[in-house]
Amino acid sequence: MRHLVFLLPALLLLLALPDTRGRYNDDFDDGEDIAEFDDNDFAEFEDVSEDPAVDVEKEPPPRAAPSSTPIEDDEDEATVENEDGQDEFEDADAQDQDMYSKYDNEEFEGYEKTNPSFKNTLIYREVPAHLQNSWESYYMEILMVTGLLAYIMNYIIGKNKNSRLAQAWFNSHRELLESNFALVGDDGTSKEATSTGKLNQENEHIYNLWCSGRVCCEGMLIQLKFLKRQDLLNVLARMMRPACDQVQVKVTLNDEDMDTFVFAVGSRKAMARLQKEMQDLSEFCGDKPKSGAKYGVPESLSILSEMGEVTDGVMDNKMVHYLTSHAEKIESIHFSDQFSGPKVMQEEGQPLKLPETKKTLLFTFNVPGMGNTSPKDMDSLLPLMNMVIYSIDKVRKLRLNREGKQKADRNRARVEENFLKQTHTQRQEAAQTRREEKKRAEKERIMNEEDPDRQRRLEEAAQRREQKKLEKKQMKMKQIKVKAM
Amino acid sequence: MTANNMADPRRPSKIFRYKPPNTETNPTLEDPTPDYMNLLGMVFSMCGLMLKLKWCAWIAVYCSFISFANSRSSEDTKQMMSSFMLSISAVVMSYLQNPQPMSPPW
Repeated sequence: MRHLVFLLPALLLLLALPDTRGRYNDDFDDGEDIAEFDDNDFAEFEDVSEDPAVDVEKEPPPRAAPSSTPIEDDEDEATVENEDGQDEFEDADAQDQDMYSKYDNEEFEGYEKTNPSFKNTLIYREVPAHLQNSWESYYMEILMVTGLLAYIMNYIIGKNKNSRLAQAWFNSHRELLESNFALVGDDGTSKEATSTGKLNQENEHIYNLWCSGRVCCEGMLIQLKFLKRQDLLNVLARMMRPACDQVQVKVTLNDEDMDTFVFAVGSRKAMARLQKEMQDLSEFCGDKPKSGAKYGVPESLSILSEMGEVTDGVMDNKMVHYLTSHAEKIESIHFSDQFSGPKVMQEEGQPLKLPETKKTLLFTFNVPGMGNTSPKDMDSLLPLMNMVIYSIDKVRKLRLNREGKQKADRNRARVEENFLKQTHTQRQEAAQTRREEKKRAEKERIMNEEDPDRQRRLEEAAQRREQKKLEKKQMKMKQIKVKAM
Repeated sequence: MTANNMADPRRPSKIFRYKPPNTETNPTLEDPTPDYMNLLGMVFSMCGLMLKLKWCAWIAVYCSFISFANSRSSEDTKQMMSSFMLSISAVVMSYLQNPQPMSPPW
């Protein structure tokens, strides 16, 4: 810093004048005073910048080489003195030095530059993405929004397709249904039982139709269970695992409309599944599904039956004809007087009453096309609906002979007994636990009673009750013994 | 008359009204997808709001859309709308707090 004081006057004279002439003459029309004032103001820094700049220029190259020449005042002086004469020529260069050259060399004493050419390597810092002002950096968001739009598009397209398929089905079957049922279409909410004449939409992929008012049956519920075309995830899942639309028909019958039997026919996979899942099939049709070939039906169909007589009764010529010609569309056909739905998983310790049964005919049909159905395919299901109507009439006429009836009655009695036995132990356990709870509660009450008199009285009352129970039991045992004798 | 009866199987006197199947006794009949997706959507949107995770908020939006697509027509639209609004608010809040774009996990 001391050197600055010495150098300033010398440099001022040499540098300031040509500089001002070069820089400020054009800008300022005021007299040279201001220019000189400016000169003097900034000249200090100008000199400092030019002086060490020139030195820095010369010094880094020698420093780059592993020289042991230290930065010394003598060198500074020497270089400055040498360059005094050359300053005039090097003014232009000196002006172009970058900001690093404005620092005094002495500041860097002892500082070893690791990167002598650092002024050549300008590091471009990355501008944070959200300040970049470009949409490209938001590509993930754009992707997300595109995905959402695709989902919405698929929803609209899928919903419309399902709706068209449902309408096509109804149009092709309307005549048949209206000629067979007095009430076609009911949602259960209107006061009067009038045909709505249209399907109930439960979902974007499930449509219901209730038909009633016919001989031989209480009513018929038709469910069009389409694929979830409105859900993109489901569409993608179906690309892995193909599935098809289904039409489910459930006919509920009055008691006099059907005799007591359980029967099922359908594809082998479906039969195996139903035998495990369905309450009545698992209880009454214990044998493995038999191949349909024995009855003239394609090999792909198998039969579950309570007894042989039932199979012979159901599989008449017309039925066989229906099954043979539409085997690929038939998933399952299930006739049962003990239908109570799939097996309900019982919670532990909960005794169940015997499940309510209803005489039912269940039909499940696969719509051809394996997902790629068109409204025209719905016409191919019409013969199957004819089969349903035929089955309703047939079941009404089908009666077991005496032997068959006896067998059927025995089966039902057996199932009921088994059920009661199972639940009996459960019910007993439940009763036992209840009794124990009561006793415990009473004992607690007695213990908690502070008044000793009351305590004694309660204890005595409990003892008397116990004695009475014992006496009753003894009496019962005696009676049983007497009866046995 | 009898001929007519024989030919025409319809019996207006034997009409039974439609009773929707009781799904409480048969829970297997119900499709649980919309309920699960609704719950999942709400969980993700809370995660997105609390932990300021953008991807959570986006997944919440997707979940609420899926839940809507699978919902039954008898279901309350208020529930759907509330989960949808919650997921949208989660997305908006995450971006207001941190306008940086989402970085992919790879």
